[in-house]
Parts: sequence; structure tokens; C-alpha cells
Amino acid sequence: MNSIAYILLITFAGAGITFIVHHLIKPLRDIIAITVAASGLYFVIQSLTEKTKIVFGIADFNIIWGNTPYSNLFAVLIAVLGFLTILYARDFMAEKERLGYFYMNLLFVIGGMYGIVYSQDLISLFFFWEVMTWSSFLLVIYCCKEAQPIGLKYFVFSAIGAYSLLIAIVMIYAQTGNLELSNILQNFGNISEVNQIVIAVLLLTGFGVKSAIMPLHVWAPDSYSISPSPFTALFSGALSKMGIFGIGMVLFKFASHSGYFSYVKIILAWLGGITALLATFYAIFQTDAKKLLAYSSIGQLGYIIIGLAVGTPLSIAAALFLVILHGAFKAMLFMSVGAVYFRTGTTDMNSVTGLIRKMPLSFVTMLFGIITVSGVPPLGGFAAKWMLYESLIQSKHYFLVIVVFAASTAAFLYLYKLIFSLFLGQEEVEWSHVKEVPLLMLIPMLILSAFVLVAGIFPGLVLDPISHAMQYLGNYGFKYETSVLFNEWGNKINMQTVINVIGAVFLIAGLFVTFKGLKKTRYVTTKDIHTSGEIPEENENLTYAVDFYKPFERAIAPALKASIDKIYTAIGNNLEQAFDFLRYVYTGNGQTYAMYVVLFLSLLILFAELIFGIKL
Amino acid sequence: MEINWSAVLGIVFTPVIAFLVGVTYGGLTRRITARIQNRFGPPFYQNILDIIKLYSKESNINHGVMQHLGPVFAITASVTTLFFIPVIKDSPVFTNFSFNGDLIFLLYIMVFGSLGMALGAGQTGNPNSAIGVSRGLSQLVGYEVPFVMALVAIMVQFQTTSLNDLLAVQDHFTKWIIFQSPFAFLAAILAFLGMMGYAPFDVVIAPAEIASGPPSEFGGKYLGLMLTSRSIFTFAKLVLFTDIFLGGAHDFITLIIKTFILYMIPVLTGIVFPRFRTEQSIRFFWSWPLFFGILAILVVVF
Repeated sequence: MNSIAYILLITFAGAGITFIVHHLIKPLRDIIAITVAASGLYFVIQSLTEKTKIVFGIADFNIIWGNTPYSNLFAVLIAVLGFLTILYARDFMAEKERLGYFYMNLLFVIGGMYGIVYSQDLISLFFFWEVMTWSSFLLVIYCCKEAQPIGLKYFVFSAIGAYSLLIAIVMIYAQTGNLELSNILQNFGNISEVNQIVIAVLLLTGFGVKSAIMPLHVWAPDSYSISPSPFTALFSGALSKMGIFGIGMVLFKFASHSGYFSYVKIILAWLGGITALLATFYAIFQTDAKKLLAYSSIGQLGYIIIGLAVGTPLSIAAALFLVILHGAFKAMLFMSVGAVYFRTGTTDMNSVTGLIRKMPLSFVTMLFGIITVSGVPPLGGFAAKWMLYESLIQSKHYFLVIVVFAASTAAFLYLYKLIFSLFLGQEEVEWSHVKEVPLLMLIPMLILSAFVLVAGIFPGLVLDPISHAMQYLGNYGFKYETSVLFNEWGNKINMQTVINVIGAVFLIAGLFVTFKGLKKTRYVTTKDIHTSGEIPEENENLTYAVDFYKPFERAIAPALKASIDKIYTAIGNNLEQAFDFLRYVYTGNGQTYAMYVVLFLSLLILFAELIFGIKL
Repeated sequence: MEINWSAVLGIVFTPVIAFLVGVTYGGLTRRITARIQNRFGPPFYQNILDIIKLYSKESNINHGVMQHLGPVFAITASVTTLFFIPVIKDSPVFTNFSFNGDLIFLLYIMVFGSLGMALGAGQTGNPNSAIGVSRGLSQLVGYEVPFVMALVAIMVQFQTTSLNDLLAVQDHFTKWIIFQSPFAFLAAILAFLGMMGYAPFDVVIAPAEIASGPPSEFGGKYLGLMLTSRSIFTFAKLVLFTDIFLGGAHDFITLIIKTFILYMIPVLTGIVFPRFRTEQSIRFFWSWPLFFGILAILVVVF
């Protein structure tokens, strides 16, 4: 047997075993879950050096699993994040109920994602896609009753995506008579151009739901914020990347034939840009830390979509670099917010404040996270942003680059609000009992923090596997060195010099300010401050967190009024009515559902010739 | 290993010169402002005296690690920005590291200091600091957009993102980018008003309103370091604009003349205008400067 078989077998069998063990010997459960994730990671690393293929037949269809440089890139992301998530979950979930259910679904999600990236035929792709969707849905509704409508929303959108995928797969089969990826890719150019476009758009819709491109993002903020933190880290870090994985395949493997695809790509790039900008604006006005991160995640995926849709070597490299990096920093941020939740029981940014001295390492993780998101040197985010901007300018997307830049500058606002309201600001008596989270939760956060630092100084280390993946996607080559990046005009940025200069100046200034007049100083409380002669009482609230960006809100009020108040509530109302209507459709009665399936199938058969051009 | 002595000289002297020029400009500004307001004003070297006094003070209290590091972040950003800008054209001493970075890098490293400062100010727990930071970041979104538009227009026009290449293009004063791309200059110089933080865009420190905002809990060596950083940063921004639009300078006298003229634009504007509210300030940047920015890009494209 080869590694891929081991990976899938161990993960899926491990999921089942964990569930059973939970009901037999509780203490063993965590150990088994961690072992399963760790051995998944081990075999993924094993599989990097080998090129394998598993073929077996089910009912005339060949099921093929294999790895490509492109899938290796995503598999490593899944394996590392999956392992760290389960490590983090050990202590985070310790007091919760139904842990067998939790771990089983978590491992199913991980297994489903492995399956997606290793599938070399569309049948198993769709199968694993559904496994992932189902088990992630079960995790979204894990917490409580309130999660049910949110889970329903997630499921309805996932269903839209799944149906688009299914229709596209059926169309592909009708047109090429084959479901093996290698054959499809060879024959795809022979299909009529209209069908090519329709298939590509359907596939993009299907994958776009998971990566939450506007207007398919509606499910994301609520689902991200209600699911348990360890899973959210994986949800936003890895699961949303499955959409990106598919979009990359569609754009570069399927869509390279027809001339019309350039229009699809432009539309997609602009959708990405709008997603990035609007999601950032929404993030600024959130009061819940997880919801803020959810919107931030939507926005960041917008950048990735732009990079892929623009399609120059540098922009693809930027997008794939962001895929890896976003996996790391969004997991860090969700874990850090999770740590705050673990100790305070809330993620409300208006009530939690001043935790920096109580949770210093969680603070450092969040600091590294927000520096990476903001794209400020010297951490990894800068390299990604640099490549993205350069590629957009050089591929003549002048106004798109402005939109992207406005979005990433506005991102400073919500990032600062996040770290300020949770960790900085006034220290309130209410949170005086808080202490740092256990070691097992800190380890994943610190590992990821170290990673974003290394990725910033030596982006070339991350770009090596990315360039292999890009070779697979279509022979895209670009110039880079371990710590030097080049743009298409030949200008360069040397990260080694940057880090040396920043490091040296920081060290000199830091030593100066520390040792200049060094003496024992007294720590003053945050109440003991300059207040123009007034002395605040111990219980007086000086926290400035509510409506933190009121001036900014006022400034963009006219724009927001047009978009949020009118269009969005209109859409919201309509959606609500639509969901009301859905209640008649989804009666909750199994027989009704069975009838729907039969009806749908009979409709498909009736109109098969019209829709797919085949006679059944 | 052979040591490149001219580079070492540049690394040592560039920050010193930047500090001296910047701090003198600051002193002159106080003097000029005073004369316009019909006061006598302090001597032009008053700011140097202030900084020396601040450094010689002792601190008995601290507000925690981030507050301690805030001014360090600020000066790191200022000095790094300076090092990646060619101060004197074609000089082996004063080009420093400018061949290893480009305009996009400068855009980002320039906000590094404000963000670090914001973190430091955040830990002190002073509500005025938080209000100041909130205003500062909001205004940053305002003026960065037209500034980037101007830069994009220039980068596209000359097919480079490197400052040294831009300098090489402007080998004669008729080829200065201010003449080649006037709309970009207009957008950038209006954004520059916001960047310098003089009235009407002094919403961040807003004296007599939020008690100087973010720096309000900083004193002694911390305030000294911040003022040092501010002087260096002012000079760095002025040199950056001179390099981009006014063809740089071959010697220090030209540089002083060009930067001083540039510096007087925000200073003199500031004296005659009262303060905007934050939202007015943001909306201002998204009106005319944005218009000029779009125009600059359109001119380049068509």
C-alpha cells in the first residue's frame, strides 16, 4: 500500500475508532485522535517524495486517487492545520459534552479534505466534497440550539454549491464520456465553447460557495462564529481553501482553452476585489471577535481569488502563498481568540479588555497574526501583499489594485480594534482572575507564529513547493530567490536586508530605551493616568471600545447607507421570506424529502436530452 | 571580508543628518507660526533643547512592555524608511539600502511606526490615546488611497517600482515628474497634507481636544525618542517626495531648498486652517485628491 491509501484509511478509520473509544474508555479518546492526525501528517510528508496512483473500479467507473505537486501543497496545509487543531482541541474541549461526536466529525472533515485533494476523478471528488460538507455542517450545529438556523443557512448554500458541482459533473460526463481527470483535461478543449463556459461557471459557483466569494458568502460569518474555536481555525484555515483548490483547477486546467474565459476571469477578479473591500468594511463594525475574524477571512479569500483570476505567474504565486499563509495566520487568530474565550467565556470585544499582562503568549500570537494580516514587514504577509500588488500593476489592473490597497489599509482598523479591545486598554477587575491558557493550547499557536516569521524572512522556502505546483498548473515560472522577490519589471525586494535593517535598528533603539537611566520602575495601573487633574475611581469605566470607529462610520455612512441599509436589508428580507418559503419545502418529514428526490430525478430524466444532450 | 566604508558612512550619518534637518525644520515651523500669529516665538533650536531635556529625565513608572516598545517601533520605522530612500542622487554614501527595496515596500514600512505606536498607546489605557488611534487609523485610510493612486500612475508611466529608476528618469528639470505627471503630483501632495498631520488634518493629536492623544502617557526618554523619530520621519517623507516628484538632489544644498519648499506647503496650510472633524478629513481625501488620482491613472492609461 502507498501513503495516500494509508492517509485516507487511517483518517476515516480513526474517526470511527475515536467515536467508539469515546463511549468505552474516555481518556484514550484524545490520544487516539492526536495519533490519527499525527500519522496523517507523517504519511503526507512521506507522500511528498513519491508520485503514486491508486486505481480501482466501482460499477464501470474508475476511481483514481493520486497526488500532484498542486495537491501536495494543499495536503500539507490540511495535515499541519489538522494536527495542530486537534492538539489545541485537547484542552479547549476538555469540559465539553459529546466529544466523541466532535472528534469523529473533525477527523471526517480532515479526511474529506484529504480525499478532495487526492481525487483524480470527479466521482470521488464529489463524494469527498459531500463528506466534508456534511461533517462540517454537523460541527457548525454542535454547540447549541441557536446554531440550527445558522447551520441550515450553511447547508442551503452548500447544497447550492453541491448542485452546481453535480450538474457540471453530469455535463462533463455527457460531453466527454469520462470522469477521469486526466482524460477530461485532454478532451475539454473539444467541447463547444458555450458548454465550456457553462461548466466552468457552474464549477466556479460550486467551489466559490466554500471559499465564500460575494455574493455566496452569506453563510460564512455566522457559521464561522458559532462553531467551536478549534474547528473554526480549521474551517477558515483549511476548509475554505478547498474552494480555492477547485477554483485553481478550473481556472488553469479546465479553462485554458476558450477565449471567453478572459471575461469570466475579469468578473471573478472584480468579485474578489469587491469581496475584499466590503468584507473589510463589515469587519470594522463588528463587536464580536469571532465575527470580525469571519469577515476578515472572507476578505482575505477575496485577495486569493484576485490572485488566481488575474492569472499572471506572480499573481498565482501570491495567491498560493496567501493560501498557505492565510491557513497559518487565520488559525493563529482564531486560536488566540479561542484562548480568550477559554478563559473569559466570551468573545465580545466591548466587555473583554486588558488581558495583555495575564495572557502574554496569546497576545504575542495575536500580535504576529495581525502583523501578518496587515502585510506590514517583516512577517510573511508583506511578501504576499508585495507580490499581489506588483502583479496587479504589471498586468494593467490599475483600479483593482486601488480597491485591494484600500481594503488592506482599512484592514488596519479592524486588526487594531481586535488586539486593542481584547488585550490592551483598561484592565478591569472583572478579568483579574484570568491566566494564560495551558501549554497544549499554546504550542500550536507558537508553532504557527514561528512559521509566519520564517515565511517573511525566507519567502523562497514557501515559494519552492508553490513553484512546483504552478509547474503542474500550466508551466508558470517566475523568478525568486530564498529571500529576494522580483517583479516582472525586474525590480526587487530583498527580505534579508529588510529584516537586518529592521532588526538592527529595533535592537539598538530597544537597548537604548531600556538601559538609558535604567532603574527599578513601578508599574502603574491603567487607572493611574493623565486625566487633567481628575482622579478616576477604581470602578469608573474608562474603556474606549464601544463604537470605536464612529468617525470612520460617519465618513463612509453615505456609501454604507446605499449598500447596507437599502440593498442589504432588502436582500435580507427577501432571503428571510425565501427561508420562510423553504419551511414549506423542508417540512422535516422524510417522506416529503424522498418525494423531492424522486421528482428531481424524474425531471432530470425527462429533460436529459435538453439539458445534457444525452439520451438516457 | 571587505568593508564598504562609504556604505558604513551612509548608515552612520544619514540618520544624524536627517535628525538635525528634521528637528531644525520643526523649530523653524514654531518660529514661522509665531510670526504669522504676531508672536515672537522660540528660537529655531528650541526643539533640540527640548529633546535633550527629555532624554536627561528619569522615569519612575512604567505602563508595561508594549508601552515601553511603542517608541522603539516608531523610530525603527522612521530609520528603516530613511535607509531605503536614496537621499543624495548617485552618491555612494547616501543611497544606503535603496536598491534592495521599492515603493510598495516604502508604503508599508511607513505605516509600521504608527501601528507600533498605536499598540504602545493602547496599553496605557488612556481613553484619549485610544480615541487618537481610532482617528489616526481612520484618517490613514483616507489619505493612503489617493497617495497610492498617484504612485500607481507613476509606476505605470515609467514601468518601474524602484525609486532609483525614477531618479534616473528625471535627469533634467524639464523631466521632473511634477511636470510629466502633474495630476499624480496634485493627488500626492494633498495626501501629503494628511501624512504630515498639520491642521486641518491634525485630528490625531488634536491639542486642547483629546490632550495630544496617543502620546499622552509618554514622557521623558519615551517622548524624547518619539520626537527624534518624528524629526527623522519628517525628513524621510520630504526626501521621498523630492525624489519622486522633484528629481531628487545631487547635493545637500539643493536637497535643503527642495525639501524646505515642500515642507512649507503643509505648514502654511496648517496655519490658516482650523481643524477638520475626522469624518470631514476622510471625506476630503476621497473628494479632490481621489479625483486627481483617478485622472492621473486615466492619463497614463490612455
